[in-house]
Amino acid sequence: MTKKKLLLNIFGPILSVVVLLGLWQAIVVWGNVAPYIAPKPWDAIRAVTSNWSTLAPLTWWTIKETIYGYLVGAFLGAFLGVVLNKIPLMQRVLYPLLILTQAIPIIALAPPLVMILGFGVMPKVVIVAWIVFFPVTVSVLDGLNHVDKDLMTLAKVFGANSMRRFVVLEMPAAITQLFSGLKIGATYAVTGAIIGELAASSGSSLALYQRSASGSLDAAGVYGTTLLMTAIGIIWFLLVVGAEYLATPWQRRSTARQWRRGAKPVLTNN
Amino acid sequence: MSSSSILELRGISKTFASTTALSPLDLDIERGSFVSIVGPSGCGKSTLFNILSGLIQPDNGSISLEDQNVIGATGHVGYMLQKDLLVPWRTVLGNITLGARLKGKVGPEDKEQAMGFAQKYGLGEFLHHYPSALSGGMRQRVALMRTLATNHQLLLLDEPFGALDAQTRFEMQQWLLQVWRDTQRTVLFITHDVDEAVFLSDRVLVMSPRPGRVVDDLRVDLPRPRTLDTLVSPAFTDLKSRVLHQLHRERGA
Repeated sequence: MTKKKLLLNIFGPILSVVVLLGLWQAIVVWGNVAPYIAPKPWDAIRAVTSNWSTLAPLTWWTIKETIYGYLVGAFLGAFLGVVLNKIPLMQRVLYPLLILTQAIPIIALAPPLVMILGFGVMPKVVIVAWIVFFPVTVSVLDGLNHVDKDLMTLAKVFGANSMRRFVVLEMPAAITQLFSGLKIGATYAVTGAIIGELAASSGSSLALYQRSASGSLDAAGVYGTTLLMTAIGIIWFLLVVGAEYLATPWQRRSTARQWRRGAKPVLTNN
Repeated sequence: MSSSSILELRGISKTFASTTALSPLDLDIERGSFVSIVGPSGCGKSTLFNILSGLIQPDNGSISLEDQNVIGATGHVGYMLQKDLLVPWRTVLGNITLGARLKGKVGPEDKEQAMGFAQKYGLGEFLHHYPSALSGGMRQRVALMRTLATNHQLLLLDEPFGALDAQTRFEMQQWLLQVWRDTQRTVLFITHDVDEAVFLSDRVLVMSPRPGRVVDDLRVDLPRPRTLDTLVSPAFTDLKSRVLHQLHRERGA
């Protein structure tokens, strides 16, 4: 990536967010929108910062539910993808079940989960994992199914056993696909956590905080909480993108990074 | 087995369903020789390679490679295809040492050998490049280095230059001959290109389908090293015309 491109990648998204907030501001101010219907963006942000002492622990809980659930979902998803690829019989047995899990309306999943797991962090983790694993499974399966057959043949001729073929060739070959599943999962993860909080919280949570703000017609609080939740989702997504960036250097570089002194990396123009 | 043979096939045959892919074949390959196999598709040359590499079992016959019975066993030949099959996430060095990685760990001596090959054969500056940064010809060089690095005496090359343009292909052929001379390996080379077969080889086997069999076995006594002049010499043209006639007679033309 060139410097110019890097700057564009950073400032492009910032610019679009600023434009969006400006549009919001313009509509509220020039449209004379009542403050109990929509606040100005700055008021929404201030509603978060001025209540940060209350919101911080709630935000932390949501982050934890998201991360735990995401990690469980990602590992489970990748594992299932491998199982489905390696044991063809499993495609018949498991695949219908996997579709079934995604056909259940996720909100309707919460009440039984509360009965089984109570009101703690567990039901939220399960819901996040429930949403996240599926795109990961599908992408890993797809990635493994599309590993070059001739490459596997070559490895066989070279005398590699199936374990080595898997570790050395199939796993890295599927990594691009894996990350596309992980990225889809990342965008859904916070949604899952919030659905879990809405349906399976007894005490305090971001979702309930927003609901009570809504009850007291505190539009700034409602919008502010939405912004906060969105921010968590975006940051998580960016972290996954960052992990992909680090894990797949060959997709953006023409040479491997040399840690020895004096070696210069060559950057490609893409 | 004569002492100069590295590979000895006796009565190797293979039938798929009701098609005779390979009718009983006897073949001796001399150590250090360059032998090409030409023939239309379905003549059994790929079946022969698959049997030699251990991917499939012949119905009958015996194979002795360096006095070892190798039927149905893999891991004893170098093998290269038209597709370079370089893995995008490994550098040139990583791709050359892929064979070692597939058998276990890549040791310092594997790396040293790979770097030696790369330096000697014009890839020294690209050791840490990913394959995406290489041209088609360079990728095939890396693929051949990977094949050499498995340290097998017998190399099976299945149309390795089939996807290259004519200019690059000629460069690669000369380069291959240099590598072959330096490393003293034995090469079995499948190609559709009669010029290529005659230009490279000590010996050309012409195969024919239904049933797959060897119909002609020519010695190519053209002097080495072979150059552009070889391609236009009368002796070359004679050999080429004999191969072409063999191929077309067999096709009923």
